[in-house]
Amino acid sequence: MIVESLKSKVESQKLRSRQYSQIRSFTDSLILEESMRYLKLIRRFIIIAFQDVLAYRMNFWISLLYSVLNLGTGVLGLVVLFGQVETLRGWTLASTLALLGVYLTLGALRGLFIGPSLEALAGMDGEVWTGQFDFTLLRPVDVQFLASFRHWRPLALLDLLLALGVLGTGMAQMGQTLTPGRVLAFVIGMTAGLLILYAILLAFSALVFWSPGFLFTWLFNALLQTARYPVGLYPGWLRLVLTWIVPVGVMTTIPAQALSGDLPVGMLAGAVALALAFFAGATVLFRTGLRRYASASS
Amino acid sequence: MMQEARGKGQEAGGKGQEAGGKGQDLRITDHASRGTLPQVNLRGGLALMRKTWLSWVQHRSFFFLLAFGWMIPPLIYLFVWSTAAGGGTVGGFSRGQFVAYYLVLIAVNQLTYSQNNWTVGDVIRYGGMNALLLRPLSPVFDTLSSEVAGKVVYMLFIVPVTAALALWLRPELHVTLHNGLAFVPALALAWALRFFWGYWLALLAFWATRADALLSLQDALIFLLAGQVAPTALLPGALRVAATWLPFRYMVGFPVEVLTGQLDISGILTGFAFQLGWLAVALALFGVMWRTGVKRYSAVGG
Repeated sequence: MIVESLKSKVESQKLRSRQYSQIRSFTDSLILEESMRYLKLIRRFIIIAFQDVLAYRMNFWISLLYSVLNLGTGVLGLVVLFGQVETLRGWTLASTLALLGVYLTLGALRGLFIGPSLEALAGMDGEVWTGQFDFTLLRPVDVQFLASFRHWRPLALLDLLLALGVLGTGMAQMGQTLTPGRVLAFVIGMTAGLLILYAILLAFSALVFWSPGFLFTWLFNALLQTARYPVGLYPGWLRLVLTWIVPVGVMTTIPAQALSGDLPVGMLAGAVALALAFFAGATVLFRTGLRRYASASS
Repeated sequence: MMQEARGKGQEAGGKGQEAGGKGQDLRITDHASRGTLPQVNLRGGLALMRKTWLSWVQHRSFFFLLAFGWMIPPLIYLFVWSTAAGGGTVGGFSRGQFVAYYLVLIAVNQLTYSQNNWTVGDVIRYGGMNALLLRPLSPVFDTLSSEVAGKVVYMLFIVPVTAALALWLRPELHVTLHNGLAFVPALALAWALRFFWGYWLALLAFWATRADALLSLQDALIFLLAGQVAPTALLPGALRVAATWLPFRYMVGFPVEVLTGQLDISGILTGFAFQLGWLAVALALFGVMWRTGVKRYSAVGG
């Protein structure tokens, strides 16, 4: 009797574990399918964007003009500054050029998808303002995903190429040897920087749910320009603000320092932690704001 | 709110389309086709200015935001050059002199900047010009009235902010009577030059749809050559020569240099000569563009 019951218990245990593993594999495949679906969506969005670009070919040249102007003013600004002084708080023309490269790279990545997507949401005549956002909400996809990846601007790849050129030139002039450790630190720093940039933009866009008329992203764009120069060049109080409150300084200064090798590991870890904290905070803010959305009507 | 703020001509554009839709005869008033300025219709002009002023004040938070954005680049260079000067001098400038230079530049840049140059192109492209041409006033008065209203609204932001920055960053500024007196016409000419130079560029919209790219080019050149990135005296060789001969320095940097006492009498007089010369060129180009452009203009809308 006892043996019987034990047997049946073991059987049921086995069955349960089998069921469990079946369920596990089922949900695993669901998650996989789900992420595949999102990747496929991103592919679609990019294809649409390319088709759009091909329809307006003149825009290519205009875009190129803007990219070159942006690059030219940035580089010449540094040349003028370092024509007067040799070094500035430890920064030379070469290392500041590398930092400008990081700034332009982040800007190009932003222009590629984060910027256009969030601008369509919260910018001038954005979806929240016009009420078009209703249709975004109705789609069977995660809203934050759609708000962040929906719109692409392939012409930003031009900016990316030029930016990487500036970065390369700066590094070549620095004459630093690139150890794998430095490259790794640089990639981690860049990723953290991009995540912070995304988080801040998401948070500023989310504020639009509270005050639909105000262009919060424009406010941020103004502040972002301070990241063209190393944080160390600003006076003490501003340095604190740009490191901890609106960490635009962290986004460019840390990857640039990682390249030249004078970045303590603790700073890098701190940047990653800061990026994760900002990302979590911005996501919470976005989802809270979402609940306030009440469409628009005339 | 923002849609209206984007261009003063938008509601006018709506009206123009209405007129076209009803199939009314869009007769272009005589002065416009001849391209001469009419006698100013005083009552109409005042009403126009009042309307424009009210619309600007209503959207002030938007314009404060714009002013904040335009203030940041000079402010960055203020900090960077201050750090470079430290306790000593760079290129003959001390920290306090850099602060003074850039605070004056923030105000002058805002006073001479004409954002209307950007909206003129839109008014032409979207057909808003129809309604403007029907008025018994040259369209340039529409732009001028929003120019005046805009300056007042921007100053409501810029003056307190620069004053607060001045109290805090301790600029070194000794204004002599000569410099102060020379500053006023230098500023007025700088505004006129920047306004008409931008306006003739914007009128290229009569021929090309993406003419506003040239306005971006102009902004970039102003950034480099008009004293934003550095006072003209600190620019390296070729850039300084370009700054001296091209019109851009005389739109922003020159009045600032006059007020902060960087120029002697001959420098000031040469600067005035350049300003007047380039202003004449800008006015001539504006006249030609306007006359040939309006003839070519065909309305969009309906």
